[in-house]
Amino acid sequence: MDFASLAAQLNTEVILPELIVTATLLLVVVGDLIVGRAASSKWTPYVSIAGLLAAVGSLYFLWDKPNPISFLGSFNGDNLSIVFRGIIALSAAVTILMSIRYVEQSATSLAEYLTILLTATLGGMFLSGADELVMIFVSLETLSISSYLLTGYTKRDPRSNEAALKYLLIGASSSAIFLYGLSLLYGLSGGQTNLNDIASSITTAGLGQSIAVVIALVFAIAGIAFKIAAVPFHQWTPDVYEGSPTPVVAFLSVGSKAAGFALATRLLVTAFPYLTEQWHFVLTALAILSMILGNVVALAQTSMKRLLAYSSIGQAGFVMIGLVIGTDAGYSSMIFYLLVYLFMNLGAFTGVILFSLRTGTDQISEYSGLYQKDPLLTLGLSICLLSLGGIPPLAGFFGKLYLFWAGWQAGAYGLVLLGLITSVISIYYYIRVVKMMVVKEPQEMSDAVLNYPEIRWNLPGMRPLQVGLILSLIATSIAGILSNPLFTLSNESVTKTPMLQATVKPEKPVAVMKKSNESAQVSMKF
Amino acid sequence: MLSALIVIPLLGAILIGLLPRVSSSHAQTGAEVPDYSRAIALLAVTLAIFWSVLLGFKFDTSISHLQFVENMPWIDALGLTYRLGLDGLSLPLLVINALLTWFAIYSTDELLQRPRLYYMLILMLNAGVAGAFLAQDLLLFFLFYEIELIPLYLLIAIWGGAQRGYAATKFLIYTAISGVLILAAFLGLTWLSGASSFGYDPSRSQFLPLATQLILLGTLLIGFGIKIPLVPLHTWLPDAHVEASTPISVLLAGVLLKLGTYGLLRFGLGLFPEAWSVLSPWLAIWAVVSVLYGAFTAIAQSDMKKMVAYSSIAHMGYILLGAAAATPLSILGTVFQMISHGLISALLFLLVGVVHKKTGTRDINILHGLLTPERGLPIIGSLMIVGVMASAGIPGMMGFISEFIIFRGSFPVFPVQTLLCMVGTGLTAVYFLLLVNRSFFGRLPVQFSNLPPVQWSERIPGFLLATMIVFLGLQPSWLVQWTETTTTAMLISYPTIGAVGHSLTQKDKG
Repeated sequence: MDFASLAAQLNTEVILPELIVTATLLLVVVGDLIVGRAASSKWTPYVSIAGLLAAVGSLYFLWDKPNPISFLGSFNGDNLSIVFRGIIALSAAVTILMSIRYVEQSATSLAEYLTILLTATLGGMFLSGADELVMIFVSLETLSISSYLLTGYTKRDPRSNEAALKYLLIGASSSAIFLYGLSLLYGLSGGQTNLNDIASSITTAGLGQSIAVVIALVFAIAGIAFKIAAVPFHQWTPDVYEGSPTPVVAFLSVGSKAAGFALATRLLVTAFPYLTEQWHFVLTALAILSMILGNVVALAQTSMKRLLAYSSIGQAGFVMIGLVIGTDAGYSSMIFYLLVYLFMNLGAFTGVILFSLRTGTDQISEYSGLYQKDPLLTLGLSICLLSLGGIPPLAGFFGKLYLFWAGWQAGAYGLVLLGLITSVISIYYYIRVVKMMVVKEPQEMSDAVLNYPEIRWNLPGMRPLQVGLILSLIATSIAGILSNPLFTLSNESVTKTPMLQATVKPEKPVAVMKKSNESAQVSMKF
Repeated sequence: MLSALIVIPLLGAILIGLLPRVSSSHAQTGAEVPDYSRAIALLAVTLAIFWSVLLGFKFDTSISHLQFVENMPWIDALGLTYRLGLDGLSLPLLVINALLTWFAIYSTDELLQRPRLYYMLILMLNAGVAGAFLAQDLLLFFLFYEIELIPLYLLIAIWGGAQRGYAATKFLIYTAISGVLILAAFLGLTWLSGASSFGYDPSRSQFLPLATQLILLGTLLIGFGIKIPLVPLHTWLPDAHVEASTPISVLLAGVLLKLGTYGLLRFGLGLFPEAWSVLSPWLAIWAVVSVLYGAFTAIAQSDMKKMVAYSSIAHMGYILLGAAAATPLSILGTVFQMISHGLISALLFLLVGVVHKKTGTRDINILHGLLTPERGLPIIGSLMIVGVMASAGIPGMMGFISEFIIFRGSFPVFPVQTLLCMVGTGLTAVYFLLLVNRSFFGRLPVQFSNLPPVQWSERIPGFLLATMIVFLGLQPSWLVQWTETTTTAMLISYPTIGAVGHSLTQKDKG
């Protein structure tokens, strides 16, 4: 193989964003070693954010690339992966904004934290485009192991250690199960590792409906469901979320979850085309359980972090509606929802971090009367929570509407009705927090708010938090009303991705019905 | 043109939000920072009133279809268009929305806590309601319908009475469920009829099987029935009214309940004429239940505000009766009833608010002889008697005209139900006479002999409202001319029963 054809086969430019992230990562590590911890913490976070934003920018140039396959077919940089990689990189960038002050206050090294976070981001980004079993597993583990490290990052806090250990044990066993599923696929397909080849050789071998493939499917779904925290694979979520450093939770609930959805879409759609009904069925069950359990249990929470943990389980349930219906509109509504979820959930976490930095607590009852002391935080947190609850005209409303409309079009009436009902439940617990902050009178103020420190944005690391809060506040309020670009983006990422186009259900009946209706009306007139 | 009605209050709200904050540091230094939020809110709403009256003058009463239409694609992927339009059904409601918001702001206590948030929320509420009355796209209507949720929740929860948290949450949950049902019906209708957009189109349901239509209409009826509210979906209303402050009660009864009845006419009758004609006898019975239940429960109340709240439930029942009969006359009557109920209940709530402020109680077992000149509340009492007479349907007032038109229109179709509803009108006289008799006549007890004087600013809204009620009672054609063409045209596609009623009224006229 000569060099030119090798270069063509590697097609390295497809992973340009990942290369940028890697370079940033190395710069942070080496820079930290050279200049020392105290000096490096001044510039490393901004370099990391710049690197991540540059990676997002470079994704723009890879859009609609005629030949997205790279590294001999192990990485597929199609439009779907580009959107997911963008979501993950953006979520990491916003996470860094909210981490600076938090990590410094916990008296641990910032550069190390950034290195691990960037590694996790890298894993997630590779996972979004991974088209081959080994690639999938390696990037999944890169993401997972970095996440275990991040959850235990505040090493002097016993709860953080507990969270890390729990996450590690459950995560490792779920990885093992997932890997077992992959090994079954490898064996059944006669030694193929590329997802497309696996599908074709299993079909030609006539094993499409065999019990072994079904077991492989179940194991794969178990691994994915662990990543996206779908019920009943969610048990780790509340404890890990409560114990871990809050910025890490923010990343886990957005970036890591988005990576899980990317993996689910690619693996299930490409490798299991002959079991579509079965995996739709299993994921429907998971979606139903997640929506019910996540939203109902969230009602009873007293800690803000646990509330957001359960709410994120419920939100994952909503997103899964888009995944299981298997239409163009379904996939693009899933992506649209993840895009707006990125802003609103990270905004909510920024608010929670800001509050806990200033008061040292995250009990919901301690938010009582906050508007009096900190109007900006109250506004930002309220808007983000209301958007999560789906109140118009905020971004979350349009996201949910699109999901439900897509689900309804695909005939998933039960799922949509359940989604509607559980989103009413979710409004109740989100409004509870808003009520605490906004409604309570000055005399009902909690101790934490009574002793609220003076607001000083000029402390080191506070300015990024302010920027993050205001950015997500603006994005959450505007992204709904002016959502056409986001809609176009998510639609095009689906319609221009060959993998999804090969499998989506034909949507012809709609058009036919419309036509016949129109002709009927015409004939009525004449 | 129409967007201005949404934009003006929103701009006002944003302007108030940008005002410098009256912080505690200013209070300490003693530097008085004047608060302009009330002035801005009043100005914005005054503009909105002028704008809607201007629209009323420009409105061509001879055309039945939509006027001043604005059409702008919004989100194609969802089939959502920003489409506004005005017809004879929405025009009076828009005017009354602006008008009552002005009264609500005007009658708000000037020493209110957190004025900026309060006026911002009221303006947002006003914009949301105006948008809902103007929207000619199902999703757009739903969007505006949901927008009023949070402002009203906060208005009740922050500035309400002792149990405000409970009442506000109850309101929130009921209304959220109503919204979900409405959305489900809209999604169902649009998808099943195969349309690619959510634009309002009355002919949409005609190819659907009747059973599907009935399910969709039933969902809509329950959704709007919560908002109106109809018995047994009404339990949030008395709580919300009792706990809300006076201006919010005015808005709630005068404007927000009309969202439900407007939705009933526009989306229930308008979108599902066939299913509506099948269900209409049952709807008429439902109306009777609502009217009688509301009236009897009102008799048993000792809290004035609760009494007015239950009377609202009864009066909303007439609207369902008129809508169920679906004759041109009865539909006209429902629109008239919406306006008259808006004005009358606003007047009653305002007066109850004044009584409560001066005496500290609303209990009719404690209050006596408030009509006593000099030491009592004679002018407020007289206005109260006017309001009560109007509500009970005494001729010469608006309440009489609206109830008469509804009953006249529905009697040929549903004679028994109409007669039973008339009993409800009689009961209105019973409970309001009880109210007036106990609390305004008789001797003034010693404990109330030193009531604080009533300011003219507290009387002016009452006078204005009472004048309008009497004036429109004597000159109903001023209101009718706006609406008549539209309500008649609404029934063109309405089958069988409507036709019967129509021919009957024609015959009577001849």
